[in-house]
Amino acid sequence: MSVAGELAARNRERFEGFPEPLLDAYQTGLRALEGRLTPTRLESWSRGGLDLMAVSLRSWESAAEYFRAGPRLPEAASWETWEQLAVEAASLTEQSAPLAVSFLRSAPETLALVGPNHLAQWADLGRRLYKGNWKSSSLAAQFYDAGPELFGAIRVSQAGRLTLFLDELARHSYELAAACLSAAPEVLGRLDGADRAPFLTFGVELAQSSWADSRLYFERGVPLLQRVHAPVRERYLLLAARVARDHSRSAFQYFEEGAAALGEVEPDAHGPVIELAEQLAPHSAYAAMDFIGNAPAVLEKVRLDELPAWQAAGLGILAASREGGEAYFRLQSSRGEEVLDTLSARVELARVGEVLRLYAKALTGRDISIHAAAVLAEKGIGWVDEERASTEGTTIFLPEVMERHRDKDENFAAMKVFATHQAAHLEFESFAFRFERPATLFADLRPTLPERGEARPATEIERFFDLFPDRTLASDLHEIAEDARIDAAIKRAYAGIRGALGRMQREELARRPEVSELPLRQAFVENLVRVSLDGAGAVRWPAGRAEPMANGVAILQRLTAAGATAEDAAEAALRLYQLAMGIRNERDESEEGWDALPEFDEESLDLDMSGLGGDGPPMDLGEAPDGEADYESPQEIDFRGEFKPELVQLLMKLRDGAEQGEAGQISPEQLTEEQLRELLEKSAEIDLDALLEGDLQQTTGMFLSNLLKEAGTPVLDSDAQSDQPLSDLSTGAEEGEEPLAPVVTTYYYDEWDFRAQDYKPRWCAVKEAALEEGGEEFYEETLREYASLVSQTRKQFELMKPELFRKIKRLSDGEDVELDPAIEWMIDLRTGVSPTEKIYWRRNKVERDVAIAFLLDMSASTDEEIARRDQHYDDAGDDPRKYLSWWVTKRRQELAAPPKRIIDLEKEATVLLITALETIGDDYGIYGFSGYGRDNVEFYVIKDFEERFGEATKRRIDKVTPIRSTRMGPAIRHAIHKLSATEAKVRILVLLSDGRPQDHGYGRDRTEKEYAIHDTKQALNEARREGITPFALTVDRAGHDYLKTMCEDMGYEVVGDIESLPRRLPALYRRLTE
Amino acid sequence: MLAAEEFTVREEPYYLPLGDEIELFEAAFRQRIPVLLKGPTGCGKTRFVEYMSYRLGQPVTRISQGGDGDGPEAGPRPFVTVACHEDLTASDLVGRYLLDTDGTRWIDGPLTRAVKRGAICYLDEVVEARKDTTVLIHPLTDYRRLLPIEKLGQVVEAADGFLLVISYNPGYQSALKDLKHSTRQRFISVEFTYPSREQEAEIITHESGVDMAVSIELAKLGEKVRNLKEHGLGEGVSTRLLIYAGRLIERGIAPRRAAQVAVTWALTDDLEVQRSIEEVVTSIFE
Repeated sequence: MSVAGELAARNRERFEGFPEPLLDAYQTGLRALEGRLTPTRLESWSRGGLDLMAVSLRSWESAAEYFRAGPRLPEAASWETWEQLAVEAASLTEQSAPLAVSFLRSAPETLALVGPNHLAQWADLGRRLYKGNWKSSSLAAQFYDAGPELFGAIRVSQAGRLTLFLDELARHSYELAAACLSAAPEVLGRLDGADRAPFLTFGVELAQSSWADSRLYFERGVPLLQRVHAPVRERYLLLAARVARDHSRSAFQYFEEGAAALGEVEPDAHGPVIELAEQLAPHSAYAAMDFIGNAPAVLEKVRLDELPAWQAAGLGILAASREGGEAYFRLQSSRGEEVLDTLSARVELARVGEVLRLYAKALTGRDISIHAAAVLAEKGIGWVDEERASTEGTTIFLPEVMERHRDKDENFAAMKVFATHQAAHLEFESFAFRFERPATLFADLRPTLPERGEARPATEIERFFDLFPDRTLASDLHEIAEDARIDAAIKRAYAGIRGALGRMQREELARRPEVSELPLRQAFVENLVRVSLDGAGAVRWPAGRAEPMANGVAILQRLTAAGATAEDAAEAALRLYQLAMGIRNERDESEEGWDALPEFDEESLDLDMSGLGGDGPPMDLGEAPDGEADYESPQEIDFRGEFKPELVQLLMKLRDGAEQGEAGQISPEQLTEEQLRELLEKSAEIDLDALLEGDLQQTTGMFLSNLLKEAGTPVLDSDAQSDQPLSDLSTGAEEGEEPLAPVVTTYYYDEWDFRAQDYKPRWCAVKEAALEEGGEEFYEETLREYASLVSQTRKQFELMKPELFRKIKRLSDGEDVELDPAIEWMIDLRTGVSPTEKIYWRRNKVERDVAIAFLLDMSASTDEEIARRDQHYDDAGDDPRKYLSWWVTKRRQELAAPPKRIIDLEKEATVLLITALETIGDDYGIYGFSGYGRDNVEFYVIKDFEERFGEATKRRIDKVTPIRSTRMGPAIRHAIHKLSATEAKVRILVLLSDGRPQDHGYGRDRTEKEYAIHDTKQALNEARREGITPFALTVDRAGHDYLKTMCEDMGYEVVGDIESLPRRLPALYRRLTE
Repeated sequence: MLAAEEFTVREEPYYLPLGDEIELFEAAFRQRIPVLLKGPTGCGKTRFVEYMSYRLGQPVTRISQGGDGDGPEAGPRPFVTVACHEDLTASDLVGRYLLDTDGTRWIDGPLTRAVKRGAICYLDEVVEARKDTTVLIHPLTDYRRLLPIEKLGQVVEAADGFLLVISYNPGYQSALKDLKHSTRQRFISVEFTYPSREQEAEIITHESGVDMAVSIELAKLGEKVRNLKEHGLGEGVSTRLLIYAGRLIERGIAPRRAAQVAVTWALTDDLEVQRSIEEVVTSIFE
């Protein structure tokens, strides 16, 4: 009998009472191992399994697994491994049989992966997850089961961190831990080996601070982390972990945003960015992460080598005030923006647009707007380039940013040259060209030439271009001529900009292509471009054939003379075209060298080309001969941008038509659609392919409708942009027959962050609109209800009406001598005392010059009822009958007069105020405010300053209802803006509210009041700085009142009930206005 | 207290006529028709009246502090200007009692002196004055040519050479301070505008002594800056300011700096508009 058979037979009876498969496993195992193990070892193995069976009720399961595992163990496993496995199995079985089952089941494969040395460690890791309950047992079992898969991806040492992570998660949720565990092999497998440990370390921190985010971290973390440049990933994770360690719930969010941000930055920059962030981290982990998160936005404005300066400025703030520094790096502080702006060398059109607008307006004397070039391209009216400067006659379009130099001033100077060139097109009338107007410097060839266009041309310039068979060449030459004229005119008229313009011309000259490599006609044009850039010295031309070139140069240079007009430029273009057509567009094959032009005596050149036009034979503007290279336009010149006179003239004509005819309608006798279509198809200025895609018919149709729309749109009132604060106008609804939707105007205001001690720039959007109108009943009813109060108030206010003149006495100069002091004067004089000179009186006119704004709180909290003084049942003793009778009386009262809400009191007070103010004649405005969030502060106009009180006002008061939240700061700031626009000497802002500023995001969380109170207080301070007297009137004495702290020494009153209002109002008003 | 001056224009003031205003004024004077001069600040209204006063060999009364009342004299006669302000009352113009050792003494106001001596009386920025001054203006400006002196119980008939000239700047005064029709329809109205670039350059050169080349640039600056009127600027730059800039340049101040202090900063406190004007200045001057 074999050793196996003997062992099986010997132990047979020990299997009695156990399920069949156990014995099967035992016997199978013995048979399989017989050849691998010595008899002693086989017996030892068998004993290990048999011992397991005896441990507990279910331990036979682990024994069965033990028997099955044996044969699967790697051949190479040493006997120590066999023994170790048995020891671990025994120990695990004692803890939990299912645990041991999982362990044994995956042990053979796992052993093969981790090696025998790590077996104990692996077993320990699983054991650490086991806490004695079934959930932990199943997690630990899952861990063992995952062994083969897991260690295919990671090393045992890394698994230690994973267990730590899982253990942490398991404290909160076993389900989440299980999910993460099952994802772990795949997730970790995707990471670079070096990243796994730090990835898991951050995971542990995350599990501790906001465990719920772990799932997200496992789902999205890897691709996010991979956006970070590999060498610095660990440092990045350590920074993110600092946030987590601060018990922050938002660690994952920071991690996610930071990684996404770094993904937008060049990988080479990651190192420096992270290093700078690391310097911030000791002060504030949030600041460090925000710094990373905002790096792309900041690097858009400053170069990488300027970043440390920006960081250093913020670090200084951070060291002094944590909140201040954090706001700085969150890009939510004005200071941060300022520093950024100072450091940044680039010039943004948005920031200098207004200055340039006024500049261009001063130069041209026209109402010019300034916009980004992209705006023009979007219109789809022929301009396609989003970067290049241009003008369409009423607006100058400039590149959005200028960052060609390393110095801000130089960049601005460049922007100014761009703007000046476009403005000069308008100032020196590039677009006023008329075909029949004579030139001043050239003889007129235009009338002598045959006109080719079949249809009546739409514009004067089109008629001119119709003369040429090759429109592209003509258009290029005309542009060169016109630009040469314009630049010369600028240099002549504006000595101050000569330097910058000259510098820019030289830069452009240095960037021109090599002329000798071009076909000759293009070389001719290229040379003309150089001349127009004041670079006659840079002209290169085959030495032996200098004359046409010299002639061209001389023609062009004539345009630089004072008094050159657009018609001169056109005449020059004609002549240049003729010269260009005389040159074949071929590479110069002769051996001649390309030289600078020799000196020509101007006398010897025929600038007027009299041989061709005038008395001589008619000029022939021939077409290009066959067999030569296709003509290509010269390389563009940056600062001159795009010049499209045909389109500009067309637009101007359309606009004129739109103004004369009905809006948007083009009167047919002015321009036909045919004309437009023809112009569009033949004009060299329009690149149809680039303009729009699709077939020609559709494209032109679209183009035309865009053009008509553009022409029909009245030129934007450019002042709308200059209004402080910035505002934009948008109407709510489409045009139609329905009643007009209220016009909503949006204003932006800063908000005060008391923690950072700085403003958050342009933080709140205040939307102003007239309040909708209700009925007049409320107004009338209130007047009736409080009839006696109304008359009382009115009387009080009438008393305040000032006398027109007041006599002021004892002046040193005045209308007349005053008797008493005159007598004293005489007495003094006679007794030899030096007399006082103040013996005159004068009447001084007293004018009331008061403007007052009322700001009504329309927040939801004003819906609350106001507790009446007698409504508390505070009778001692608990006689139920007494209470019942009190309650019945109270109910009856309530039914007769429903309890007033705060808003009702506000409304009634408003009505009373209006009657009073109408009596006294002061200018006043009534506004309501509410809203939700910083982007949506609603500001309702009930009665604007200078608006007359009327039926509409009465109807609007009716619609004053509690709406949403109370963001007081921006509402106050907007009221300040309104008050500042009035010319009154005494300006008052009265805030009528329940005293509770509260809004979404108006503070760290919903319950925080500090932030809102400080912002409101700051807004009230701003009012005072503007010379406005703020006054808070609160209608709640229940104690929810925070206004008191806001106002401090400022005016503040509680109005308990409306009855006391009239008594106090006049006194109050007098106190405020005097 | 009383911003009025009275003097006799003995030397011919420099004045460059821009249109037919001299003929108009002369004709009005011969017919004793009161004249209203309209125009922006610093465009030469006061200078014009001075010049006309000299030209007409007429005394013109300018109300100034402590102007003493010397009697009428032959030849060039005095010229009285009153810069009106919001506290200027009728008695400031007519006169008042002063205390003397022996009692009170009546002192004629500038208007009374001008009326008695037959001078040209120029009320600058008349709408600024109190409304009670119109009580005086009305009887003086119609066929009666009378000045009632309430406190003396007298009515003074205007001497033959007396002419009332008032000025008014429609640009910046608010609607509240508009001139009443009953008042404005007693005057013929001569409009003043800024001179053309060449004329203005000539004036600048004459008044400041700078080269014509510089003057032309200054005048160009003036023209450009005036384009900004209503759009950021309440008033265009006055010829007077341009002359100041010219004088500074004449004294050796760099043109950009001179323009900055005399034009840019003098015109506005709005930083953005300042910056825009600054850009125009740096474009024009090297």
